[in-house]
Amino acid sequence: MAHQEIRVEALLSRRVRALNGRVIGRIEELRAEPRGRHTVVVEYLLGPAGLLERLSVSISWLPLPRQFAGKRASRYRVGWQQMDLSDAERPRLRCSVDELERVKL
Amino acid sequence: MFDVVRDLLDKQLVDADDRRIGKVDGLVLEYRDDEPLRLASIEVGAMTLGRRLHPRLERWAAALERWLGVGRGEPYRIPFAKVRGIGLNIKVDLDVRQTPILAWQRWVRDHIIKHIPGA
Amino acid sequence: MKKVFEIALGIVTSIGGFLEIGSMATAAQAGAEFGYRLIWAIALGGLSVIFLVEMAGRFAAVSQQTIPGAIRERFGFNFFVAPLIGFILVTLLVLAAELGGVCVALELVTGVGFQWWALPVALVTWLLIWKGTFGLIEKGASLLGLVTLCLVVGAVVVHPPWNEVAAGLLPTLPDHQPAHYWFIVVSILGASISPYLFFFYSSGAIEDKWDASYLNTNRAVAGLGMSFGTLISVAVLVVAAVVLLPRGIKAEDYHELPMLLTPIFGRWGFYLFAASLGIACFGAAQEISLEIAYFIAQGFGWNWGEDQRPRDTPRFSLVYTLTIFVAALLVLAGIDPLKMTIFSMALTSATLPLSILPFLVLMNDEHYVGEQRNGWFSNAVVVFVILLAFVLAVVSIPLEIFGA
Repeated sequence: MAHQEIRVEALLSRRVRALNGRVIGRIEELRAEPRGRHTVVVEYLLGPAGLLERLSVSISWLPLPRQFAGKRASRYRVGWQQMDLSDAERPRLRCSVDELERVKL
Repeated sequence: MFDVVRDLLDKQLVDADDRRIGKVDGLVLEYRDDEPLRLASIEVGAMTLGRRLHPRLERWAAALERWLGVGRGEPYRIPFAKVRGIGLNIKVDLDVRQTPILAWQRWVRDHIIKHIPGA
Repeated sequence: MKKVFEIALGIVTSIGGFLEIGSMATAAQAGAEFGYRLIWAIALGGLSVIFLVEMAGRFAAVSQQTIPGAIRERFGFNFFVAPLIGFILVTLLVLAAELGGVCVALELVTGVGFQWWALPVALVTWLLIWKGTFGLIEKGASLLGLVTLCLVVGAVVVHPPWNEVAAGLLPTLPDHQPAHYWFIVVSILGASISPYLFFFYSSGAIEDKWDASYLNTNRAVAGLGMSFGTLISVAVLVVAAVVLLPRGIKAEDYHELPMLLTPIFGRWGFYLFAASLGIACFGAAQEISLEIAYFIAQGFGWNWGEDQRPRDTPRFSLVYTLTIFVAALLVLAGIDPLKMTIFSMALTSATLPLSILPFLVLMNDEHYVGEQRNGWFSNAVVVFVILLAFVLAVVSIPLEIFGA
């Protein structure tokens, strides 16, 4: 079967759009597991797309008062069937955002 | 289950005898319609690193490798099936002496280090 | 019993290896210009170093990883390039300063200009690493470095007003030349908190195969070793305040430095000082050249290790060979070693956030250090001092350059 090569480094930080075109996050992590002879990506973890939110996430361990912690950035878990990677540079969701599992930080 | 970025990318690679052979500089995935992405191979090499920074760096690294005779200007790929363990290091089932991975190391040794007494 | 011996050895080598041209020059200038008022800066730098060295040892023992390797893993290669380049450039300058320090010591004793010594000193530095083992380097130069204790003896013998010395522990505002005052603070912090120091300590812990059972050893060595080392820096400042300040000698010319000890010990003082300077800088030069090579090798996953033969670690060996050579060229070029020293220390301060903040993130990441995460206090102290150093550096370095 014909296949396309995608490099992980290129996928990371790609913005993912919902069905309506809105950016809902960036690909932060891929979870993989062995299935049969191959190891495959079973889900994608999307992180905040905005710069400020990403910064607030990385400093969340500092002993700052709650008010500085920034908006509660959310993460989404996207199953492999819910992601459309036919255009690897422009990943899109295949389902609606409500169907995604939200992961609190 | 493991996390590709946290547990695999940029981690230290060791061969079957726990010798250091480089880092996971890149990962090649295969996309097939209606199937989950497959982890196809681990890429090691200056070109892969160069590409992560800027495409031109990749070309320079490739040109340098060809010019010095270190390699053919292509990054080395380790089929993912050869991965034996994902932990502190990534252990791969390779005898590194048979592969071009350590081409740079060999080149530096043979062209520079060997000529200095006491090596 | 073995652990007790290791603790003792670790403390002794930390003391002997603490002083180098950066801490000597900055402390001397601080004492010569501002008397006892800047002791707080040395103490603050010392406190931060104690925390950072302890963290570096804890990181190695618990995660079994090197810091540069872990920084790349945790943040990705693209981010890693920034601290990598920053570290190499700044530390290369510091290495040139240390090699310059050895050359100055030789010039003081023989009268032959420091530039002439650049290549011979570089060769000996390189040869010891090429042929030596890690244990030999770490312990050898540091044990010899105990000669720097003569400065502590000098500080006591010279009967400083101890109440003023104690008062110097409290931060005070300058009573004259404020821009220069803060610039010296910046240089003192950069001299104390040199990243190569705790990166090297961490690499050493891995080479010595430390594991979680070494955590208490680590605390003892870091705490006591760095404390006593800091005392030696303070001693240099005190001696400068007593001996140089009243004579109006500013210690901005390296020929003036031996005058720290000649009024106290006579001719012996001259040789003691030269020996202290030469040995301290030589030890530092070895550590620094090794650490630059460690950093690069660990970041790129190459084979590394001082105990292995060069042919088994060709790229690692090539890197330290090149760095020593390039640093030697800077000395050969005739750049005044003292100016190079002060400048590289200030530059270190300015780039501290780049090298240390990623490390701090690692120290709080359970994935690497498990339950041995940093407490909020150590985080707070280190972050405060780094940011202070950075802000002061950004403000005072331009003022110093344009004010001069």
